[in-house]
Amino acid sequence: MNETDARAVYQKALKAHRFRERAALAAVHVGLVFYVLLSVYPLLRIFSVSLRPGDRIISTDLSLIPAGASFLSYMKVLHETNFLFWLWNSLIITCATSAIGVSLAAAAAYAFSRFRFPGHKTGLTLLLGNEMIPAAMLLLPLFLMIMKLGLINTYLGMIIAYSVTSLPFSIWILKGYYDTIPKSLEEAALVDGTTRFGAFIRIILPLSTPALAIAFLFNFTQAWNEYLVARVVLTDARMYTWTLGLFELQGQYLTQWGMFAAASILVTIPVLGVFLYSSKWLISGLTLGGVKG
Amino acid sequence: MTALLGSIIEVARFVAVIFFAIALLEAYLYVHFHLYDRRWFLPACVLAAAAAGLGAARLWAPDRFFELGLAAAMVETALAFGFIRLRGRYALAYMMLAPAILGLTLLIIYPLCFEVYLSFHDLKLTTIMQWSRTGALPFVGIKHFVKVFTSSPLSEVSFWQLFLRTIWWTFINVFFHVTGGFALALLLNHKIKLKGIYRTFLIIPWAMPQVVAVLAMRGEFHSQYGFINITIQRAIDWLPLLGKAGLHPIQWLTQHPFLTCSVINIWLGIPFMMVVILGGLQYGASAFQQFRMITLPLIKPVLAPAVTLGTVWTFNNINVIYLVTGQAGGTEDADIMVSALYKASFSFYRYSYSAAFAIVIFFILFAFAMAWLKWTRGTESVYERD
Amino acid sequence: MASVSLRKITKRYKDTEVLHDVSLDIADREFMILVGPSGCGKSTLLRMIAGLEECTEGEIVIDGAIVNHLPPREREIAMVFQDYALYPHMTVEQNMSFGLRLRKLPKSQIDARVKDAANILQIQPLLKRKPSQLSGGQRQRVAIGRAIVRKPKVFLFDEPLSNLDAKLREEMRIEIAKLHQRLQTTIIYVTHDQVEAMTLGSRMAVVNGGRIQQMGPPEEVFCRPANRFVAGFIGSPTMNFVRGAFSDIGEGPRFKDDVMSVDLPPLVDGELRKALLDGKPRPAVLGVRPDDVYVMQTEPKDAALATVEVVELLGHRKNLHLKAGKGKLLATVDASFAGAPGDRVSIAFNPGRLHLFDEATQERIALEARTAPRQGAQPTA
Repeated sequence: MNETDARAVYQKALKAHRFRERAALAAVHVGLVFYVLLSVYPLLRIFSVSLRPGDRIISTDLSLIPAGASFLSYMKVLHETNFLFWLWNSLIITCATSAIGVSLAAAAAYAFSRFRFPGHKTGLTLLLGNEMIPAAMLLLPLFLMIMKLGLINTYLGMIIAYSVTSLPFSIWILKGYYDTIPKSLEEAALVDGTTRFGAFIRIILPLSTPALAIAFLFNFTQAWNEYLVARVVLTDARMYTWTLGLFELQGQYLTQWGMFAAASILVTIPVLGVFLYSSKWLISGLTLGGVKG
Repeated sequence: MTALLGSIIEVARFVAVIFFAIALLEAYLYVHFHLYDRRWFLPACVLAAAAAGLGAARLWAPDRFFELGLAAAMVETALAFGFIRLRGRYALAYMMLAPAILGLTLLIIYPLCFEVYLSFHDLKLTTIMQWSRTGALPFVGIKHFVKVFTSSPLSEVSFWQLFLRTIWWTFINVFFHVTGGFALALLLNHKIKLKGIYRTFLIIPWAMPQVVAVLAMRGEFHSQYGFINITIQRAIDWLPLLGKAGLHPIQWLTQHPFLTCSVINIWLGIPFMMVVILGGLQYGASAFQQFRMITLPLIKPVLAPAVTLGTVWTFNNINVIYLVTGQAGGTEDADIMVSALYKASFSFYRYSYSAAFAIVIFFILFAFAMAWLKWTRGTESVYERD
Repeated sequence: MASVSLRKITKRYKDTEVLHDVSLDIADREFMILVGPSGCGKSTLLRMIAGLEECTEGEIVIDGAIVNHLPPREREIAMVFQDYALYPHMTVEQNMSFGLRLRKLPKSQIDARVKDAANILQIQPLLKRKPSQLSGGQRQRVAIGRAIVRKPKVFLFDEPLSNLDAKLREEMRIEIAKLHQRLQTTIIYVTHDQVEAMTLGSRMAVVNGGRIQQMGPPEEVFCRPANRFVAGFIGSPTMNFVRGAFSDIGEGPRFKDDVMSVDLPPLVDGELRKALLDGKPRPAVLGVRPDDVYVMQTEPKDAALATVEVVELLGHRKNLHLKAGKGKLLATVDASFAGAPGDRVSIAFNPGRLHLFDEATQERIALEARTAPRQGAQPTA
């Protein structure tokens, strides 16, 4: 075989290889686009339903922007339902729980990160084991306690029920982060004149703002999206959180579908935004807290 | 407007009360950690506790006057010896842990104990008024535990059906979460354009509020106006042959609720696994052999805890099933143990029965967890890598 | 300005003892160096003085007061850490003033002190920057600045230069020396680098295995190492050790191994001299610094023989790696020495600078200081 032949063969093989590569890449894109559609489609459908004009809420139309699109459903959900109350209830309950949860976790995680006290390992294991307890199992006694305390249909009952649910996870995330802060920083602060707790407040906490933000966000989304506890503790429609309200809207009559869709879009957009914006940290926090310990 | 302001004040007052309680707790710990070596430490502790106990009894339970005082004194004696043994060491550690421990004790450990109490007594709608007035309940022994295994938690489905269905549910869900997550992660792991955008869109099911996501998906399974049946109907209209071949719109929510719930839950859970697996992957492994030799060992450390966590989450998942089937007159054909527990407690108000059921479920989960941990050689290898 | 004393300090972690009964007195305004290989316990010792570690037994005294139970903030010390430990979320100025602000000093005084320290260390232009915007050397200066604004009784340095490159390290070494002259405070300085130990300190303590091996001014430690460890650790290049035996039957001690025999200066210890009269050779190790090995290319019949294996040119000096019998020797000679690998040479040792160590105890066997004319090492008869 002479040289030009060899080169021709080589070129041909190269071409075939490139073709195969491109075909594979195209297949990858096709696969991804397909699953992206699958992921996004329900959200798009809700969006399209929310835009349907009043007389065509119920239809077998599949187009994304329906004929005669209007914001009527949005107006209706804001004016004719307690939607704004629901949002406000969710907000205030969520903020209070997150504040309590994060401050407890921030302190406890520091103890776990920096001290090897008797019970250290047991404590960490129990925190992990806590994930195993079915929520439904705790819910019944909690509900009875809240009822006995007369806190049904109050914010306080909700805050009590929510405040520690995300605590173990927050402690794990924060402990993982504290572990990465060099100990010499605190030692320098100790020598400079702080107490140990002072070093925690002045050095560790300011340096942990990213992790604190993750923990806060985690607490926040957990409480914000919660449904099962709220369903049991809140029975008055004015006290509903938005999750209860939404279920109500979707459940009863098909005619309320437009309002359900509009309300869904209104609550989803900000949550989605915050989640996607913070997903990078949230995910690294998840792997940090859950995997590396 | 005043209502809003009122609610803010109410919550702020509550938070203030909590922080005041924490301050009291810290003061208690501070005194004990710093005065443990005084000669009068132990007697003072016991006296103070007894006084506090008697005071509390006077306020809330005058009929238990001496019992409460004595109990407080005894508990405090035990604690005080603990403080003496610690000799003031780890004061800060325990003081920083205390609020979290208190919260977890009051809101997890105490309720669990209460649940055990409930399961041996009889609390139901007819006795609840008596209970909230007197706090006393009739003791019934293991009656409820027997009932768990012999009667239905709801109206038809039996405990053993639920048990098997739970295992099946957990298995297929986790299986598809992992395989689906794996497939997407491998696709995303190529050097392709728009990777970030794909990734963002792919995690939307996870990022959406779960209630919205589930309710939206449920809408798509509606017999008349859901996407699936609309598509089927159009296919039949377009090609009547398909209809003759047996294709027809299906009553998903009433005839195949378990399938519906599974599909929805798999759809919800894939993005989390995808993200975890993607985190453990690196470029360049795509051929099957590479996959087996390189990719799997590479992601095993991230996958193992994620699968553990995912299994527990799936086992304990009420949300999807309840939101899909939970309304009045809903089917029982999709229920797993925890969702049946939730319905038994809060739709059927069988409190004591539910408590016993919950304890049984807890032990089942516990047994599975122990077996699993033994199989993966303990948590240490996974979690204790510091 | 204060003295520091450690009295019988012992440190145990669970069941391993890392410091054994260490006692050390540091005078006011002294520059004390703790030097030793990594893991020898020197940093633990420093951290105990700072109050960052508890001592298991013993007392730490600063300025006449026992401080064992005082937290670091009440000990009036300042410390410079190996990784600088600058607070990443504060500017240089805030870093330096942190300790003063904690002590609630008036603002004018804080500013004056920070300015002063910045002047001394020439970091005025950096005051508004964050630590992440500084180079290694600049961070080092800020860390030192943070210590000096506090005007502490004692400065503690924990391997402060080990993260710098060679040139910067040399510069900072000189800066620190100047700083000590200027501030006239007690400094305790931990390092594993024997060059820093030699050049900086007014006194050094060589630590190994949780014990102080020798303490004294650098020249004394260098000239009269107390044991074989100190001899090998201090001095660069490392001292040569020749294993053999020595005897003294009245005509002066003589050291022998399988290839050479060396006449030593008289033993100081009279008892030992008497005991040696039995004629039995005692196993020992002879130590010679490479600088004290003389190499001659001529080959007198009576000189010990060695072969040149490798020649390294250092500039104005040369390192000769020699093989003498089974043993190896390093000699540092003038660069003009024209030996090449394979050459056979004769060697001699500077008799005034020979070190003899007991083989069993590794302790120094004192020899009289003598400046006798150089003497060739003889082939073993």
